Amino acid sequence: MTGLLGLEEVKSALERFGTVEQVRSNRIKVKTIPEKIHEALFRAQTLLACDHLIQISALDNGQSFELIYHLTGPHGTVIAIAIELPRDRPEMPTTSDILPPAGIYERQIYDLLGIVFTGHPNLKRIILSEDWPENEFPLRKDWKPRPKTPYGGVRQEER
Amino acid sequence: MPEVVLPIGPQHPALKEPVNFKVIVDGETIVGLELDVSYTHRGIEKAAEQRDFIRVIPLLERVCGICSHAHAQAFCTGIEEIMHLEVPPRAQYLRTIVAELERMHSHILWLGVAAHVVGFNTLFMWTWRDRETTQDILEEMTGNRMNYGMNEVGGVRRDLKPGQISSILSRLPKLEEQIGKYVGMVRGEETMLLRFRGIGKLSKAEALKYGTVGPTARASGVDYDIRRDDPSIAYAEVPWKVVTDTSGDVYGRTLVRIGELQESLGIIRYCLEHLPEGKIGIPAPKVAPRGEILSRYEAPRGELVHFIRTNDTDRVERLDIRTPTLANWTSVTVSLVNQNIADIPVIVAAIDPCLSCTSRITILSERGRRTAEMTWAQLVDHGQRFYRKWGRS
Repeated sequence: MTGLLGLEEVKSALERFGTVEQVRSNRIKVKTIPEKIHEALFRAQTLLACDHLIQISALDNGQSFELIYHLTGPHGTVIAIAIELPRDRPEMPTTSDILPPAGIYERQIYDLLGIVFTGHPNLKRIILSEDWPENEFPLRKDWKPRPKTPYGGVRQEER
Repeated sequence: MPEVVLPIGPQHPALKEPVNFKVIVDGETIVGLELDVSYTHRGIEKAAEQRDFIRVIPLLERVCGICSHAHAQAFCTGIEEIMHLEVPPRAQYLRTIVAELERMHSHILWLGVAAHVVGFNTLFMWTWRDRETTQDILEEMTGNRMNYGMNEVGGVRRDLKPGQISSILSRLPKLEEQIGKYVGMVRGEETMLLRFRGIGKLSKAEALKYGTVGPTARASGVDYDIRRDDPSIAYAEVPWKVVTDTSGDVYGRTLVRIGELQESLGIIRYCLEHLPEGKIGIPAPKVAPRGEILSRYEAPRGELVHFIRTNDTDRVERLDIRTPTLANWTSVTVSLVNQNIADIPVIVAAIDPCLSCTSRITILSERGRRTAEMTWAQLVDHGQRFYRKWGRS
C-alpha cells in the first residue's frame, strides 16, 4: 500500500478524456466516450500504476448501455472509467489486448447484454447454455421471456 | 505425437460441482485448456432486480453455498452506504466473527480437498473433523451450518449471549493447536511436498497480468487484501496482518491459506473479547436513494465485488456480481500449460474454484483432433498412480 491517489493526480492523467470526480476518499470516477477508453485505460495503467482490473460493470439504463471499468493498484484507489453506448448500435473495440482479464468479462457482457466487442479473439457465448436462442439478451431491461420459446436445457427430441 | 482432446466432466465428483474440462494434451503434457462451467447458471442477477432489499438477501446468500455470508455482506455494506446508514459497532463485530468463521471453514475444507486429490487422506479426515468446530460455532451463532441468514440491511439478526462467547472462546485453543499441526504436515510431509512444490507456478507479474485475486494472488507475492486495502465491517479496528508468500505454486497457496487460518482465528478471538455493547441493528428504510457503489469484500477465495445501482425504488436497478473464481480462471488456463495431466486436479483445486457462483467458460486454444474420455475420479486416480510409479520426473 502506497497511499491513496489524490484527485489532482488523477485529473492530470485522465482529465483530457472527460469529467473527473471524487465519489469517496478511495473512489474516483472518470466519464469518457467509447473512442477514448483504450487510451484512458492505458494511461491509468502507466501513469497511475493501476495493475488490477476489478470488474467491468455493465448495465442497461433504458436509454443506453453503460460500461464501467474499475481499476486499482498498490495505492488502493479505485478508478472507475465509465462510458455509454447507444442501444441501437452497441459496439466498441475490445480492451482485452491491454487488459487480459477483460477478455472473460467482455464475453460475459456480450452474452447477457449483447454488446459486441470488436477485435476480441474469442467472443463466444459464456454464461447462458449453448441452446439459448440467438439475439435474446436477458439483462436488457426490455427483455421478457417469450412463452413457448425453449430457453435452453431442453433436448432436441423433447421440443 | 498428435494432440488429443481429453474431456473431463461435467459431473465432478471431487468438487461436487458441474464443470467440463476439455484438456488438449500432447502425450502427458497439457498444451491448452477449455473450461465449460455454464451448467449452473441460475439468473440470480436478473432475479435480484425483481426483489426488494429484504427479500434479495436470502437470494444472494444462495449465490454460493460456501461463501454465503460474503455475498450477503458485500451487498449489505454497499446498500448501507447508499442509504447512509450508521450500523452499530456490535453488529459490525458480529458480522466480522461470522465472516472469519466462514473463511476458516472454507480454508479448512479446501485443505482437506487438496490433501484428498493428492491421495493424502489422513489430512483429509483430520481437517474435516476439525472443521466441525467452526460449523458448530456457526450453527450456535446463526442457527445454520450454511446460508446463515445472519445479515440484513442495517445490522445482524441474532445476538451473542455472554455464555456463548465464553463457550466459543474455550473451543478456539484446540482448533489453534490443530492448525499448528497442519503447518507441520504441509511443510514436512513428503507426499504433500512432492505433489505441491513447483506445481502450477504463477509469477508475480503473471498473477497481476491475468487479474488473479485472493490466496492465489497472495501466494505469488501480490500484496492485495480487501480487508486491509478497502476495509469494511470491523476489519479496520482489529489487529491482523496480510499473509503472502513468494513461491507462487500450489505449495505457496497452501501456506497462505494456513497462515490465513491462524490470522482468522486471531480476528475471531479479538472480536469476541472486545465485542462492543449496544444494539445489533438499526431499522433500514424501504427505499434506497439514487446512487451507485462498487462494494468490495475479501471472500475466502479472493476479492468479491458487487456493483449496485439504485434508483429511488425499493429494489436494485442493477446488481453486477464478479466472483473471485471468475477472476482466477484466466490464470488457471495459463498455469496448466506445459504441466502434467496428473497435476490437473491439484492445480484446479488450488484456486479453490466455486463453480455455481461463477458459471463461465474460458477458452485458450482448440486444435484437437482425437477425443478420449476420462471422468474426474479416473483423473484423480491417474494422478495418484502416476506419482506412485514415477515420482517426480
